[in-house]
Amino acid sequence: MNFVIDDEVRKRLAGIRELGRTQMRPLGIEADRAGKPVDPGHPFYASLLRLGLGRTRWLGGDDVRSKSSEAKQGPGPSLTGVLLSEEMSYWDRGVAVSFPGPGLGEPPVLSMGTPEQKERFLTRFREPDRPRWGSFAMTEPGAGSDVAAIRTTCKPDGDHWILDGEKSFAANASRADWIVVWATADASQGRGGHRAFVVERDTPGLGDFKIEKKMGLKAYESTSFTLRNCRVPAANLLGDGASQGKLNDPEGSRGAGFKGALQSFNATRPMIGAMAVGIGRAALDEAAAFAREHDRGGDPRVRDRLERTRRKLRVARLLCWRAAWLADIQQPNVIEASMAKAQAPTAALEAALLGMELLGEVGARGDHLIEKLFRDVKAMDIVEGTGQIQRIVIARLLLNLRRE
Amino acid sequence: MIDFALDPELELLRDTARSFAQQRLRTHDRHFEAARDVDSGTRSAFAEIGLAAVEWPESLGGAGLGAFAASLVHEELGAADAGAALALDPLGAAYYALAECGDTAALQAIARPLLDRAGARAVLGWNGGGRVALRNGVATGVLPWVPADRVDLLVLFDRDSIAVIDAGIQLTSLRGAGLRAAGASELRLDAAPVRAWWVNPAGARRALARARLHTASLLLGVMRAAATFSRDYALQRVAFGKPIAHHQALAFLIVDMAMAVDGTRLLVHEAAVRLDRGEDAVEACATAFLEAAEQAIFVTPNAVQILGGHGFMQDYPVEKWMREARALGLLFGGVDAAREDAGAAIVTNAESLALAETHA
Repeated sequence: MNFVIDDEVRKRLAGIRELGRTQMRPLGIEADRAGKPVDPGHPFYASLLRLGLGRTRWLGGDDVRSKSSEAKQGPGPSLTGVLLSEEMSYWDRGVAVSFPGPGLGEPPVLSMGTPEQKERFLTRFREPDRPRWGSFAMTEPGAGSDVAAIRTTCKPDGDHWILDGEKSFAANASRADWIVVWATADASQGRGGHRAFVVERDTPGLGDFKIEKKMGLKAYESTSFTLRNCRVPAANLLGDGASQGKLNDPEGSRGAGFKGALQSFNATRPMIGAMAVGIGRAALDEAAAFAREHDRGGDPRVRDRLERTRRKLRVARLLCWRAAWLADIQQPNVIEASMAKAQAPTAALEAALLGMELLGEVGARGDHLIEKLFRDVKAMDIVEGTGQIQRIVIARLLLNLRRE
Repeated sequence: MIDFALDPELELLRDTARSFAQQRLRTHDRHFEAARDVDSGTRSAFAEIGLAAVEWPESLGGAGLGAFAASLVHEELGAADAGAALALDPLGAAYYALAECGDTAALQAIARPLLDRAGARAVLGWNGGGRVALRNGVATGVLPWVPADRVDLLVLFDRDSIAVIDAGIQLTSLRGAGLRAAGASELRLDAAPVRAWWVNPAGARRALARARLHTASLLLGVMRAAATFSRDYALQRVAFGKPIAHHQALAFLIVDMAMAVDGTRLLVHEAAVRLDRGEDAVEACATAFLEAAEQAIFVTPNAVQILGGHGFMQDYPVEKWMREARALGLLFGGVDAAREDAGAAIVTNAESLALAETHA
């Protein structure tokens, strides 16, 4: 049992702190005031490439770069990701999500893609010539938590598939080189009918990009778009067994598509939890600073509420660490990942709400960082499975709760 | 580097504690409660396995293991019978005060004799409010409740000093709200002679931290037992055509109870590891105690609730766990004293949870 962060990760955390303090937080505040995402051409993104960021973990073939490089003693990639994500979100979670790179599109390409597909879609992210983005689109106007209910269809047509439907709230979609789009080949098969396609920019029929207006996290784009008679080459269907001929083959790839999606969620939930902790920490620090500057530190009502908030964030952080640690040693972590994702966002929201409460009318002005954090943080209990969905996931395992 | 794995030896220790606790304590909990003590066979079996001695130094016949090892044992004991856990441990949390403020000779002179008297009990009493006046070498005052029917040694402490009293201790038997297996008494001192008095704020604070961690580990066990028992019950009990656990209102509650247990355990373990590393763990232990005390009174009343009418009856253990959770949380000044230590520096820190600094 050990809770010490090793030197290599500390160095990387120090780098993020510097980047966060000098650039991410100011940029996040600027985007929030402007009410629109940071422009893809902003020099900040090019500067990230010079720092070695914005790249794929894929090294060619079956090799994947571990986030702790080759160090054998350091934490595994999930834990490292959790630590770095928390620190980035402490400075600005919106800017962190806007970072160039294959993003949430990377896990499905890595887990389901053929060698050729990895080559085609990830090579450009190995030594990017300029900031480039990948994107991931599952959510639809009528299907959020219930991902099995997606209505975007895909139909084979010669050596192409025709995609039709609407997608919502996809991060970085309008600036992306490609978007991993989830569609159903046969709605009656539920999840078994799901397929994932890499839809490339400028594919005819992909369009109507609409950057949504959000309550917070304005620095990155959450984009809705449509697929209208969108012809996608069969070679862009992720996986090899999932071609049209095998669609109804019970021994074939049924469910593989959906499983791929779930796997990406299992890996990312502790990271989302850690991001929430980061936002919560920022809120806690703002609240404590205000109390300090206004000489309210001696008031037990103030002290006790700050203490409780810090305690809940500590619990949340440890839950995230445990889930990520389990992922790194390749042990089942579904319950632990869901616990982390269920707890961290509410702890962070509590921190932001407390901050607003302590600052009082100063918070209500709308020009203090605490007010931005208060708006930013709410999304964390919604993305990648709401707190309610996490409880259902845990209950299925803990209580053998059946799907209705 | 961050690691949640348990050493094989500690796993063995935990499993030993678990089987003793489940086989010898859990099965007799109502009997111990009625008798206000454990039986002598259980007491000697406990002493033989050495579960009380996990943290004691070799000079006391202990294993010299750390706070983390002890917290694993205390969780298991708490999950079976927290009252019996107190009754079985001759030195209890008083050991921490003696170890932090006295030297080896003092420990030998004061603590050692208790180990040779069957059923002897040392009690650690919180004197934070100055309820007991210590003047001219004598102590006068009242502790309204101590979980003991016999006090061979009273160690009174506050944030600055520790006083040892082993004569003139008057006990009046009480019914007790919880932890009855350990007994329950009002403790009165009327110019009782103070055998030793150490003014040692650093030592007293460490003793308080360790006592809180001890209690937090017991609370963790109590709430784990309540969460698990009520979950299992909810899977058996059918209402409106399905197990009550499968009604979403209860499913979510049971999940929240499980999360409360897991989160508390992580804080308890983190505080224990800090203690074992020799860090200043006053804040961490107070934080773990607070979480344990708060979550235990969330989990245990809800365990009673899940069992419904049965939960209120003494045929089931959940009502006992609810009372024990409440009683444990009142020790050593309870949550209000703990908040003072947990929150002492919170406003002065520019960054409360900076990763690199908090986990160096």
